[in-house]
Amino acid sequence: MRDVMKHLILSPQGAVGLFILVVAALMVCGGAHIAPYDPESISILARYKAPSAEHWFGTDQLGRDIFSRVMVGARATIVLSLLATLMSMVTGAVIGTASAYLGGKTDEAIMRTMDAVMSIPSLLFALLIVSTLGQSSFNAVLAITIAFVPGMVRIARSVSLAARQQDYVSAAIARGEATHYIILREMLPNIVAPIIVEATIRVAFAIMLFATLSFLGLGAQPPEPEWGLMVSEARAYFFNAPWMMLIPGVAIALVAIGFNLLGDGLRDALNPRSH
Amino acid sequence: MSDAVLAIENYSLDYLLPQSEPLQVLQDISLSVQRGEVVGLVGESGSGKTTLGWSVMRYMAANARERSGRILLAGEDLCQMSAPQLENLRGGKLGMIFQDPGASLNPTLTLGEQITEVLIRHRGLDARQALELGIQLLSHVELKNPAAMMKRYPHQVSGGEKQRVLIATAFACEPQCLIFDEPTTALDVISSAQILALFARLREETGVASLYISHDLALVSAVADRVCVLEKGHIVEQATARTLFLSPQHAYTQKLVAAVPDPAHRLTDATPVSAQPLLSLQNINIDYGRHGLLDRLLRRENGKTRAASDVSLTVHRGEIVGVVGESGSGKSSLAKALTGLVPFSGKVDFNGYNLSGRAEMDKDYRRRVQMIFQHPDASLNPRQRIGEIIARPLRLYGLPEGENEAQAVARLLEDVRLPASFARRFPHELSGGQKQRVAIARAFAHPPELVICDEITAALDVSVQATVIELLLELRRRYGTAYLFITHDLNLIRQIAHRVAVMYRGDLLEVLPGEAMAQHASHEYTKALLAAVHTPEKAITEHL
Repeated sequence: MRDVMKHLILSPQGAVGLFILVVAALMVCGGAHIAPYDPESISILARYKAPSAEHWFGTDQLGRDIFSRVMVGARATIVLSLLATLMSMVTGAVIGTASAYLGGKTDEAIMRTMDAVMSIPSLLFALLIVSTLGQSSFNAVLAITIAFVPGMVRIARSVSLAARQQDYVSAAIARGEATHYIILREMLPNIVAPIIVEATIRVAFAIMLFATLSFLGLGAQPPEPEWGLMVSEARAYFFNAPWMMLIPGVAIALVAIGFNLLGDGLRDALNPRSH
Repeated sequence: MSDAVLAIENYSLDYLLPQSEPLQVLQDISLSVQRGEVVGLVGESGSGKTTLGWSVMRYMAANARERSGRILLAGEDLCQMSAPQLENLRGGKLGMIFQDPGASLNPTLTLGEQITEVLIRHRGLDARQALELGIQLLSHVELKNPAAMMKRYPHQVSGGEKQRVLIATAFACEPQCLIFDEPTTALDVISSAQILALFARLREETGVASLYISHDLALVSAVADRVCVLEKGHIVEQATARTLFLSPQHAYTQKLVAAVPDPAHRLTDATPVSAQPLLSLQNINIDYGRHGLLDRLLRRENGKTRAASDVSLTVHRGEIVGVVGESGSGKSSLAKALTGLVPFSGKVDFNGYNLSGRAEMDKDYRRRVQMIFQHPDASLNPRQRIGEIIARPLRLYGLPEGENEAQAVARLLEDVRLPASFARRFPHELSGGQKQRVAIARAFAHPPELVICDEITAALDVSVQATVIELLLELRRRYGTAYLFITHDLNLIRQIAHRVAVMYRGDLLEVLPGEAMAQHASHEYTKALLAAVHTPEKAITEHL
């Protein structure tokens, strides 16, 4: 583990990605303490203020301080998107690897089910789940997870098919290893690299999907300072107060880039051959 | 030296490495190839022989730096030439033939397109002329029905035929110099013998100068007039093939010559093995593919391929049984069936176990029958440390009395003559031979009764191969293990096997005593196989 961290910090992408995410993590943990104003206090006199010394990122249509909202909103946005991606990654990787290993009819059954899930647009599918389960942030997370699983399964399966052909899998079968050992210990570690890279890209999608759900009133609820929700709300005021939309948008982009860079760094650091 | 076609003078090449000293790949290489001469270049992997071949072709890795020296082709210095000049030369005056004919032909173009392209480019012919000449060239390399061959795609012809097409292409532009990089390594014994005969004939006719790169000393001695031995980028010895074999001067050459398997020199003692059968196979059939319900309903042809048909074989306790045959003969399928990797039908009797399918193989059977694979790179999980890999069978089958896991792993590593500290390493930090030793240690974690070795030395250098074989024989003396040794290397198997089974296209042709294989061979295929192999003995007598 210490080796991986060392290699991560030594590679430029890993270092930058790690820096962005450490900043993001600070916002998640201490955002509420950093925020100079109450993110939900409305001020009629301070509406549509451009960024200034008083309001660093300006104010929105209700006079709320955007800097405070971004700081406090980091928790909802990042943690929930990360949770959704992580859950879909773990489930998808295990199902995909198992499908590739078992092959034959089991493989067919799993993959056709995944195709069926995939044929429904992910937003529509998420809407369906949330409206069935009821409105809450956790249900939104669950919806995103289920919508993302098929993509993960596909990627994990295609990578695992190559690993399945390797002699170390044959050796494990010939040795009489249990199926779960072969899937979890022999095959999964060899396919984590592409899956982690894919997952880091998905975090950005998860943030957007979560924002969309919030916009439609099925995720975070309006006064809450969620980044996606802030972008959605600011759309109408783009021409007279562009910072309202740009700042949470840039925050989403930066976090997404941070995850992508970290993914690149991790891919190299996790490969024992590149040491 | 004046009529040398290719002359390399004091040539040195380094690879620049990030964060470390440049790696000296070639140092002060001097050699020359006369018209009509074949110079062999022999060395183990990593000796720089292929790098030298590519240097002559002027196609080098981005981090390669030439320190000194000249490469002259017919008096012109290749190092000074511009890129367009070189492009005219390559494929024309200077050709190269690679190890794997499958990889050097483009799978999306027909063979005809690939030949005519060269002719149009270097001989300035139009498409019709090129087609006619192409057909003529293919018939010249003894390919049957050349006109039809021109329309085929690479996957539709055999490996030997592909290599013939490549040779035809290389000879098409009347080259002055050809570089052969292990042209027969990927082929089976009989087709490689045919390719070599073809090459000898074309060389007589055209008087081309060739540089023949190979790791196989016996083969090179048969092919080449002179042999250069390359060790870690230095030419340590240069002599005629016969002198090199009979009286090698340099210590490294002596080591190489000694490591070449010689069927006349048996490594196993003559004492008869016990008559008690350990494993007996009765009418084993192995099929790939399946004939599904839909296929049957649509009256489609049965797509099954029979990899082994009616194979019956017995292995006695402590006996080494060799299985030989070319690729596709079903020898690896047999190994996979016995370890439960592919389904089979027929009866397997293993020391009291009666098995008629792979579902009946239990943990006890799997413990007693172990398999070692061809490529240690692939058979050791790259994400697990050596200690973890070796400990796995211990956890499955139980630890030996009075030892904890770490002690057992250390003892096993020492048994295969590796330092115990290797337990903390990853497989990629080890050399090929060391990795194969780890695989052997894993197989012997719980001393098995039968070990199936599937081409375990094919990916290794000769000197490493010799030590691995020695290790296996020592383990057999200690534990009385029987081996089913699958290989295509007849010289090697004749050194160690008590009996040798010859397989051809899924059939078991005959089982011969390993010691006197040549005398007892009755089947035509076996005789052809034995005749096609280059033994050190033959290499010497042919040059007399």
